[in-house]
Amino acid sequence: MPELSKESRRFIDDLRLYLFSSGKNDQEIKEIAEELEAHLEEAERNGKPIEQVVGESPREYMEMISSEMKFDKKAWLKYVPLIIFGAISFSVIGQLMENMRLSYSYVFVGGSLAVSILFILLVFSVFKYTASRQVSRVKEFLLMMIPIFVNMVLFMALIFWDMYTELPGIELGVTASMIVGAILFVILIGISVWAKTAVLLVMLAAVHVPDLLLKMTSLGLEARLITGLLATYAMIGLYFFYTVKKMKKTEAVEG
Amino acid sequence: MSQTQMMKGILDGCLLAIIRGKEVYGYEMAERLSEYGFGEVSEGTIYPLLMRMQREGLVSSIKKASTAGPKRKYYSLTDKGHEELEAFLERWKRLEKSVNEAIRQETKEGSEGSA
Repeated sequence: MPELSKESRRFIDDLRLYLFSSGKNDQEIKEIAEELEAHLEEAERNGKPIEQVVGESPREYMEMISSEMKFDKKAWLKYVPLIIFGAISFSVIGQLMENMRLSYSYVFVGGSLAVSILFILLVFSVFKYTASRQVSRVKEFLLMMIPIFVNMVLFMALIFWDMYTELPGIELGVTASMIVGAILFVILIGISVWAKTAVLLVMLAAVHVPDLLLKMTSLGLEARLITGLLATYAMIGLYFFYTVKKMKKTEAVEG
Repeated sequence: MSQTQMMKGILDGCLLAIIRGKEVYGYEMAERLSEYGFGEVSEGTIYPLLMRMQREGLVSSIKKASTAGPKRKYYSLTDKGHEELEAFLERWKRLEKSVNEAIRQETKEGSEGSA
């Protein structure tokens, strides 16, 4: 199979990302991407420029395609709890490793949920923006830092608020904490099997292993927390890129 | 806005007519359209239209391997698609007649008026 030009390749990748971030169905995204890829390839063989296929504005074209596709609630029901549950399990396992018992203020729990949802929405908005406007890789990276940064600041504010003020909440003893931790871990494995992805488990390990190592250093609690958070969000960002890359690779094999 | 709306309706009809002849895939349809003089329309425009027509049950599609390059998606008309094409042809005939009539009458009167 002859290779697509770089420009067409990029358009197809951007289209996938755009549709994925718009909450469209994976299978439908695959279908239209394949069809357009075949079209672009044949057009290139006949010496046509990409503009003749997608028009002058790739963004308008992506919007046109997107508007013909339904919002896939099922995909969102799969991703959103996965991410929120992931955030919770990071915190729970972190606390268990820190002092073997769980204590949460209601403010922290509610705040974490709100911040996580905001993070998802921001990431998807940035994806849609960069995918439809053909921005440079550098600009794409810088734009991606916005949700990561906003989220970090909000999470840090939440952590410090929680640490330095007496807030009402729940506190569990060691046994109860361990049981909650074990249940969480089982659910985590269950979700991973159901969603057919080991990403949460991989990320958990990736975040807590450095944390364990950081503990052995002379860094203070704050510095460790900040480093840990940085790693978490960098990895969530990486995960999205990885998902799209993997989608692309599977197709290359099938096609 | 209304101009593109109208254009889409017309393209829908042309695509249905092209698909009626035989099973056809996207690139072929685009080529055919440009042969007929729709060169101004970017080729990719047909895909959102095909997606909608498929959702509405006017066309069905099947993937087939091709000798050169990746798999192609071939479209054919469903019974509902045939009905829709007939309805389009009917609408188009009436519209064509009205437009021709309007232009013929008005340009004639217009030139008389200015004279």
